Amino acid sequence: MPKAESSVFARWRASGARLIQRHPVARYLTLKVGRAVFVIWATFTATFVLLYVFPADPVDLLVDPAAVGQVRGELREQLAATYGFDKPPLEQYLDRLGHALTGDFGNSVTSGKPVGHAIAETLPHTLVLAALALGAALLIAFALAVGATATRRPWLRNFLTSLPSAAVSIPSFMVAILLLQVFAFTFGWFPAFGDQGWRTMVLPVATLALPVSGPIAQLLIRSFEAELGASYIATSRAKGATRTRILTGDVFRNASLPALTIAGIVFGNLIAGSVITETVFSRQGVGRLTQTAISSLDVPLVQGVVVLVAAAFAAINLAVDLLYPLLDPRIRVSLAQGSAPAGASA
Amino acid sequence: MTEPTNEPANSIEQARPKRTKLWVALALVLVLAAGGGVYWALRPSADEDKTASDKVEGASGPVTGGTFKFGVFMSHSTPDPQAGGGYTDAIIGNNVTDKLTWQDPDSGEITPWLAESWEFNEDITEYTFKLRQDVTFSDGTPFNAEVVKANFDQYVLGDPALDIDPNGAPYFPGYLGTEVVDEFTVKVSFDRPSAGFLQGSSFTANYQPGFLALATLAKSAEERTDPKNVIGTGPFVYEEWIENVRTVVVKRPDYNWAPPALERQGAAYLDKIVFNILPEGSVRTGALRSGEVDAILDVTTTDEGPLAADGFEIVARQASGSTYYLNLFPGAFPTDDINVRRAIQLGWNRESLRKTALSDSYTDGTSAVGDTVNGWVDYSGDGPLRYDPEEAKRLLEESGWEEGPDGIRVKDGQRLEIKHFGVQNVVPVKAALESIQLDLADIGIDFQINVLAGPDFSAAMQKGASEYNALSLNRSRNDIAVLNTLYNPTIDNGAYIDQGFEGHDDLVASLSKLEQTLDPAERTKYAKAAQDLLIEEYALVVALFNPSQVIAQAPYVHDILFDAQARNHFRNTWLETR
Repeated sequence: MPKAESSVFARWRASGARLIQRHPVARYLTLKVGRAVFVIWATFTATFVLLYVFPADPVDLLVDPAAVGQVRGELREQLAATYGFDKPPLEQYLDRLGHALTGDFGNSVTSGKPVGHAIAETLPHTLVLAALALGAALLIAFALAVGATATRRPWLRNFLTSLPSAAVSIPSFMVAILLLQVFAFTFGWFPAFGDQGWRTMVLPVATLALPVSGPIAQLLIRSFEAELGASYIATSRAKGATRTRILTGDVFRNASLPALTIAGIVFGNLIAGSVITETVFSRQGVGRLTQTAISSLDVPLVQGVVVLVAAAFAAINLAVDLLYPLLDPRIRVSLAQGSAPAGASA
Repeated sequence: MTEPTNEPANSIEQARPKRTKLWVALALVLVLAAGGGVYWALRPSADEDKTASDKVEGASGPVTGGTFKFGVFMSHSTPDPQAGGGYTDAIIGNNVTDKLTWQDPDSGEITPWLAESWEFNEDITEYTFKLRQDVTFSDGTPFNAEVVKANFDQYVLGDPALDIDPNGAPYFPGYLGTEVVDEFTVKVSFDRPSAGFLQGSSFTANYQPGFLALATLAKSAEERTDPKNVIGTGPFVYEEWIENVRTVVVKRPDYNWAPPALERQGAAYLDKIVFNILPEGSVRTGALRSGEVDAILDVTTTDEGPLAADGFEIVARQASGSTYYLNLFPGAFPTDDINVRRAIQLGWNRESLRKTALSDSYTDGTSAVGDTVNGWVDYSGDGPLRYDPEEAKRLLEESGWEEGPDGIRVKDGQRLEIKHFGVQNVVPVKAALESIQLDLADIGIDFQINVLAGPDFSAAMQKGASEYNALSLNRSRNDIAVLNTLYNPTIDNGAYIDQGFEGHDDLVASLSKLEQTLDPAERTKYAKAAQDLLIEEYALVVALFNPSQVIAQAPYVHDILFDAQARNHFRNTWLETR
């Protein structure tokens, strides 16, 4: 009986392997999905391990640092038992991993709220902020790139092409404070904090959009220039197309494609920027949640947030990997021929 | 990625229509997500239009009504005041819950509040409290002996089934239990003399013993994150708690059991208080200037002057308790040499520290406790906490510390290095330490500052004298017994004293006496003895400055009360009609 079972298993495995081997698309999918799952698991494991090599005993982090000396003996054991810190690390790991698979990351140490709820409550606020900021950043980036490419004055082009690096290198924190000083405290046009009404969104969206627009604009300017120099443009021009027609009809489309590849970077900028933006503007959101969780080392909350961010990163990269063959015929061709899809993971 | 395209033209042609569809689909998804999200974020809050102030007219004197907007630095970590470890937690807790006793902020005397009277046995291990009989929780249930017992038991022992930590255990050391004597009488017992408990029953700072209704005590930590589940007897009632953003409390109209020591009884003047969490200092200041908030806490020292000059009122009070101390560890090299410890006490200038790090809201450190704590003794002037660099140098030379090549003294090839650790918990910490560092370098001591973040600080607390020589911190608790908690080697052991230290037994005996009597004259005597040992005899404590809590308020804000631990109460606060 066991023999039969194992042979069924072996046959199943062999057919799976054949499928993956014979169908490059299946192989591609397995590879990419597997990579995404691995990244999420590795993040979870890394945060867990870090908490164990961390300098502080997790029990100490539960109490007022000044009163740590008084937490000893039975009291210490009671606290450790409440949070499961008394079990062997491997058992704790498997236990937490099992719960995490069902979406349960435990309760926040400082508030007692389940980590899932804390994230679910704040995530929509961050998504709105990030979506609006991304929209604003795309507008800024396209405007810059089109302006820099379309202009025939070298000084203006130089000026416009230098703006993205400036946007990237000014710290969000400073942008936030500057915007606040001018538009909230001096002119009083927009409130400095709060989450009621569209006016409270303006300054945070501007703060977050600026650093995000930088890399997008840089990439667009570079690919606009490259595409403008391409031979098909010469053909278009020879056929009598105007400069505007070439920019919007040919360059715009072809140059947008590489922008997808920096989706991960953009997302990273949005996350990092949201921590600062939400903290300075005192907004509810995952960024602010992260900031307080880390500063108080609220272990379960930190782990929940980190895994969420890793999962989002993995999902975005996966989406890009899966979208790319659909958008770029070269990769589709190489996939169909069964050779390695070179361009996709660049 | 940007290599020229040399595919057959038809493949591009084929790809195009699909690409357009995809872009359209992507854009649609984005727009939908953003639209839904915008609606979700901007959905009107239920009482938005009620926030406009509807104050009652009044020519002069307190005005009833209005919404008070307060900007604070720290987050309000949980609505449960017994579980909140931060400054904001304490302030909000003080306005939604009451305590057994009230400590007079000026005299330090413990006066009645929810307890009308009390007595204790000879060795101060048992306290019997007679409770007020007219007090109710905001859910209508009565405050009585059963409630006190349930609160104290859960406060000290925790409740693992409800995920409630033993938050009060460090504050009521030796707690044995509470006995219900009759409906309005309780007896609280300890396994050791606990003179400090009387003040502990009035405690208004972190993890405070504010009374919660039985319904709240039956709720889990998770359920208590719904502010409506946290029910107290205080002058305000929770309305909203948005973690890290704001907390809203509203007036309880039938509140009528304020501490008798306070002149005015009755309900609050304000209708509503909004605590806005504003972590960034310049945002707090800017929000006050632009009128978005009426007052702010945690004013940065550099903003105090300009705000005052612009007509804002700066009010401050010492966070009574220990001074902001620098403890020197006698179990570590080179602070095991008493001459080194004395040289650190003498070797820096209080005036420079005051000029570079403090504002007028702070005072000099003159002993192990602040000058607002009963039993305080002054060691400045000609005492051991004076500035005397010549004497400091003489002491170091006497111990064989000779000037080294880089100006730092050396003995047997070892440099005179002091490794400090601390945490940035009040505004002037870092600047104060840097001022001392400069002065100590002049007499040949290399004072190394390590201001650590929360988790690293907790780790350093565990390492203590094995890695460091000095610890800077403070403890708000307006009772001389705070010294016992802080320095007794059997309790917190803040100077990391080991059994081998010559003063070990001396200190244990002297500090323990602070818990053994509530007779004012006796306590004063023991207080002096303990401070003499800590400052003069063993030179374990250097007093840096007395920490303060500083508020800047608009001129129309009146009567924010600072209690004995410098936490705020808003029952008497009112806003002038503007």
